Amino acid sequence: MSFRSTALLARKSIRARIGRTIAIAFTVTAGVSFVVGSFVLADSMRATFGGLFNELVSDVDLEVRSAEAFEGDSERDPIDASIADELADIEGVAVVEPSLIRFAQILDEDGELVATTGGPALGYSYIGDAGLQGVTLKDGRAPMGEDELVVDKATADRVGYEVGDIVSYLTDAGTHEGELVGTIGAVDSDGFLGASVVALDIPTAIEKFGSDGKVDAIDIGLADGADAVAVQAAIEDILPERTEVITGEQLAEESQSDVDGFISVFGTGLLIFAFITAFISAFIINNIFQITIGQRLRELALLRAVGASGKQVRRMIVSEAFVLGLVATVLGIFGGIGVSRLILFLFNQAGAGFPDTETILKPRTFIAAAVVGLGVTLLSVFVPARRASTIPPVAAMRPELGFEALKKKQLIIGAIVTAVGVVMLIIGLFVQPGPALSWAALAGIGALALFLGVASVSSTIAAPVTKAIGWPIAKLFKVPGVLARDNVARAPRRTSSSASALMIGVALVSAAAVFASSLRATFTDILDNAITADYIVTDPNFFGLSPAVAESLAALPELEAVTPVRGIGAQVEGDTKGFGAINPDAFEILVNPDLQSGEIAGLGPNEVLIHTDPAGDLDKGVGDTIEVLWQNGIEGTLTVAGVYGDATFGNWLISLDTLESVSDAPARDFFIIGKLAEGVTAEAGDLAVAAATADFPQADVQTNAEFRKSQEDQINQLLLTITILLMLSIVIAVLGIAITLALGVFERTREIGLLRAVGMNRRQLRRSVRWEAVIVSTFGALVGIVLGTFLGIIASLAVPDDIVSKLAFSPMIIVVVMVFAVLAGLVAALYPSFKASNMDVLKAIATE
Amino acid sequence: MNTPLPSPAPTGVDSPTAASGAVDASKIYGIGDAQVKALDNVTVSFEAGQFTAIMGPSGSGKSTLLHCLAGLDTLTSGATFIGGTYLASLNDKELTELRRTDVGFIFQAFNLIPTLTAEENIKLPMMLGGETGDAAWIDQVVSAVKLDGRLKHRPSELSGGQQQRVAVARALASRPKIIFADEPTGNLDSETGAEILDFMRRAVREFGQTIVMVTHDPGAASYADRVVFVGDGKIVGDLPDPTADQIIDHMKHADS
Repeated sequence: MSFRSTALLARKSIRARIGRTIAIAFTVTAGVSFVVGSFVLADSMRATFGGLFNELVSDVDLEVRSAEAFEGDSERDPIDASIADELADIEGVAVVEPSLIRFAQILDEDGELVATTGGPALGYSYIGDAGLQGVTLKDGRAPMGEDELVVDKATADRVGYEVGDIVSYLTDAGTHEGELVGTIGAVDSDGFLGASVVALDIPTAIEKFGSDGKVDAIDIGLADGADAVAVQAAIEDILPERTEVITGEQLAEESQSDVDGFISVFGTGLLIFAFITAFISAFIINNIFQITIGQRLRELALLRAVGASGKQVRRMIVSEAFVLGLVATVLGIFGGIGVSRLILFLFNQAGAGFPDTETILKPRTFIAAAVVGLGVTLLSVFVPARRASTIPPVAAMRPELGFEALKKKQLIIGAIVTAVGVVMLIIGLFVQPGPALSWAALAGIGALALFLGVASVSSTIAAPVTKAIGWPIAKLFKVPGVLARDNVARAPRRTSSSASALMIGVALVSAAAVFASSLRATFTDILDNAITADYIVTDPNFFGLSPAVAESLAALPELEAVTPVRGIGAQVEGDTKGFGAINPDAFEILVNPDLQSGEIAGLGPNEVLIHTDPAGDLDKGVGDTIEVLWQNGIEGTLTVAGVYGDATFGNWLISLDTLESVSDAPARDFFIIGKLAEGVTAEAGDLAVAAATADFPQADVQTNAEFRKSQEDQINQLLLTITILLMLSIVIAVLGIAITLALGVFERTREIGLLRAVGMNRRQLRRSVRWEAVIVSTFGALVGIVLGTFLGIIASLAVPDDIVSKLAFSPMIIVVVMVFAVLAGLVAALYPSFKASNMDVLKAIATE
Repeated sequence: MNTPLPSPAPTGVDSPTAASGAVDASKIYGIGDAQVKALDNVTVSFEAGQFTAIMGPSGSGKSTLLHCLAGLDTLTSGATFIGGTYLASLNDKELTELRRTDVGFIFQAFNLIPTLTAEENIKLPMMLGGETGDAAWIDQVVSAVKLDGRLKHRPSELSGGQQQRVAVARALASRPKIIFADEPTGNLDSETGAEILDFMRRAVREFGQTIVMVTHDPGAASYADRVVFVGDGKIVGDLPDPTADQIIDHMKHADS
C-alpha cells in the first residue's frame, strides 16, 4: 500500500462518513472562528484606535505638561495657562494651543440634560482649524468670546441643534449658555466615540469650566524649519518646577500604549473564552475520533489482514484528520472575520460607539488559527490513530462490541494529572510566584490539567452515578428508561468523555456563580456592618463628581454627616499605593472601619490612617512616620494617626485637606456617602438630597438599599456576561453529546432492530434515546457543578479579603444548571432519537 | 390491531385453522431491468399448532417470505395475515403491537439486548407493553429450556446455546399466536442446535405453539411437522412429516 493508496482510503473514508465529517469540521471551525475573531477584533481595533489617536496628536510637535514622579492612576496636575504667553515668545514656536478638558453637560431646548451615547459629557477648549489636536470643524466656524460655542456634530444632529441656536450647558461652575456657531468632530468622524462635547475658546473655557486659570497641557506647533531639539531646550529653560516638555512622538507612543492596554484587556478576555471553546472542541473531536475508529476496527483490521502495515493505518487516519483540520481552519478564518464583525456590531448595538474598523489579518492570526484548527484535530487523533495501528488483523473476526473495560493505567495517569492540576492551581493562586502573568499562566495550566484529569477520572464514577441518575427514569419509564440507563452505564469511558465538554462549561459557570455569590455576600456584609451611610452618590460615567455636590449635601440640615471619597497615588518605600482621601469627622460617623488603635476624628494634615496589613508589613504603629512620594513628585512625611482592620475603603486614608495640600489636580470625588440626622424621616431626607443634587445631573443618588441592589445587579450582570460568553462552548458541548449519541445509535443498529422486532414502538425507542442523552448531560452537569464549586471556592479564597472575604453558594444556580442540563440533553437527543426511530427494522436486523 | 378480517375469509386459504399465511404474495425489488422477484405470487398457509420449516437455497426468497409473514417487510402485491388480521391493514404502531403480542421471534444471532439480563430479555415484549406476563407460564418455560439459575446473567456471560435458549424462552413467554424462527441453529454446533430444535418441537407438541422456521439444514428441518420448499420466489414443494432423508431426496430432485 503506497502513500497514494493511503490518500485514497482517507478520501473515501471522509466521503463515506460525510455526516460525522461535517460534524467534526463544524466543531473545529467554531473553535477556530472564535480564536481568529478575537485576534482580528483586537488587531483591528488597535489599528483603528491607534490611527485615530495618532491623527489626533499628529500635528503636535511638543507638549508642555506637569511631570509625574511615577506612573499612577490619578490625573496629572494642571498647569498655569499663563505659561502659554511665554511659550509663544520662544523662537521657532508657531502655534501654542492650551488644552482643557472638563465636565460639561449639554442641555436641550427644554433645559433637560442630553444623554450621551455611551461616553462621558465633556467640555473642550478649542482654537479652530489652527489647532493641533485633530478636532475638525464640520459646519460654521470656531467659537470666539464668551457668548459662542460649538458642539460635536453627532450630538447636534441627534438633539436637533442648528447653527444660530442658543445652547445651554452645565459645568462644575454652573449653568451657562452661548450661541452655536459651528459643529466639530474627531478627525473624520462626526462624534467623539460616544461622548458629547461642547467646545469654547480658551479664555471662555477656563472661566466657564471653573479651572481656576489652569489648563491640562499646552501643545506646540513649530514654525517651518525650526530646530525641534533647540526649541525643546529653550522651553525647558523657562518651565517652572514639576513641569516637563515632551515631543509629539512621545505623546503618540503614550496614547498608543494606553490604547494597547485597553485593547489587550479586552482582547485577552475574548481570547480566554476563545481558548475555552477550542479546548472543549478538542474534547469532542477526540471523542468522535475514538468512537468512529472503534467502529471501524473491523474495517481497519481487514486492511491489516490484506497487508497494510500499522504505520499505514495510522497514516491513513492522520491524513484524514489533517484534511479535515485544514478545511476547518480555512473555514474558521473566514468565520473568525464574521465573528469579529458580529462582536463589534453587538458592542455598538449596546452603545459602545466604536468606529468602523478595517479588518486586520496579521500573520500571527493565521498561525493561531492553524495551531488551534490543525493542532486540535491532530492531537485529538493521536491516541486513536496509535490504537488503530496496533489492531491485530484477527480483530476483523472479533464479535460485537461488548462492555468496555476501564483501563487501570489510564485512571492512574488521570489521577496524577488531576493532582498536579490542583497543586499548580493552588500554587498559582495562593503563593503567586513571580509576576502576575506567570502565576496566572500557572493557575491557568493547572485548571486545564484539572479539567483533563477529572474528565479522565470521572469515568470511574460514570457507571454508578449514571445508574443513580437513571434510577428514577428507569422506574418512571419502564423499559425505555431501563435501556437508557443501561446504555449510558455500559460504556463509562465514552459517557464521561462525551459529558466532559458540558462538564467544563458547567464547571466554569458554577465557579463564576460561587465567586459572584461570595462577592455579593462580602459586599452585603460590608453594607451591613462597615458602612452605616444612608445615601451613596456616584457618577455612573466614572468621570468623578464635582466637589460642589458634596458641599451642597454637607450643607443640608437633614444630613448628620457627609464625606466625599477621593483618590491619589503615592509611593511608599518604592511601591505604588492608592490613597483614599476623606473628611475624617464625617467618616467616623459613616463608616465603621474596625479601628484597632489611634483615632479617626481630627485626622490632621500630614496624618494617615493605615490598615493592619501595611501596618504589619512596614512595622508601623500610631505615632510612627512614613515617607511618601506623591504622584506629582511632591515628597512628604505622614504620621500614623490610627490603624484599622476593615479594608473596604483601601489600606491608606488621609484627609481631604492633606490631599489638597499636595495635589493641584482637578478635584473629582469617586463617590459621596451621607447619613440622615436623627429624627429626620427617610422621605424628608430623600426630598432634601434630591433637591440638593438637582443641579448635578451626573450625580446618581442611591439609598443604601438601592445601592445594594445596583451592586448586586452589577454582579449578576457580570455573571450573565460570563455565561453568555460560555454559551458557545456549551452549544458545542451539546453538539458533542448529540454526535456521540448518534454514533452510539448507529453502533447499536442491530440491537435497535431487535427491539423493534420484538415489539418496541417508535415512541418508546425515541424516549429511550432521549433519556440516555438526559442522563449523560445530567452526569456532565453534576460533575461540573462539583468541580466548579471547588474552583469557585479556591478563587474566592485566593482574592484579597477586601474584595471577597465570605463564601456563599447559590442553590438557585444549581437548580437552573440542572434544569438546563436536562433541556440540553433533550435538544442533543433530537436528531439521534429521530434517526433511531426511523431505522428500517429489516435492514437493522440484517446489519452485520 | 385486531382489525376484523374482510369477509369472507382469505381466499385460497383452505384450512380454517390457519395461524398465518400469504395470499398471492409478490415482492419485487428494484425497477426496470434490475427487477428481482423475491416472491412470485406465493399462496401458502400455516396451520395452528404445527411446526413448519421453510427450506430453499440462498436467494430463493425463503427469508423474504418469513419477513413478510412476520410484518417486518411489506409486499409489492398480495396479502399476508396472522390469525384473523391482514398485515397490510395495520399502520406502523399497530404492526409493532401485533409483533409484540401475537408474534415471537428467534433470529440466527444477536437475539438479546446486551444490557439486559436473561430474565429481562425473556420478559422484554411484555415489559414493553407494560405487562408483567403470566408468571407461572414463564417459570414453566424457563425450566423447560433449563435456564434456572442463569436468569440474572447478561448475554455476554452466557454461551451461544444458552443465549439461543433465552431467545426461545422470550418467543414463548408471551404465548404468541405464532413464532417465526430464522435459522435459529445456524450459529450453533450440531449438539446444541439439536437441543434447541428438540425444545421447539416440544413447544409445539406439548404447549400447542405454532412455529414457522426458515432453515437450509435438512437435519433441522426434519424436526418439523411439515416442510415447505421455496425456489425462485415460488412454492416448489410441500412435504408432511418429513425425515432428513426424504428432505435431502426432495432437494436433490428440486436441484436437478
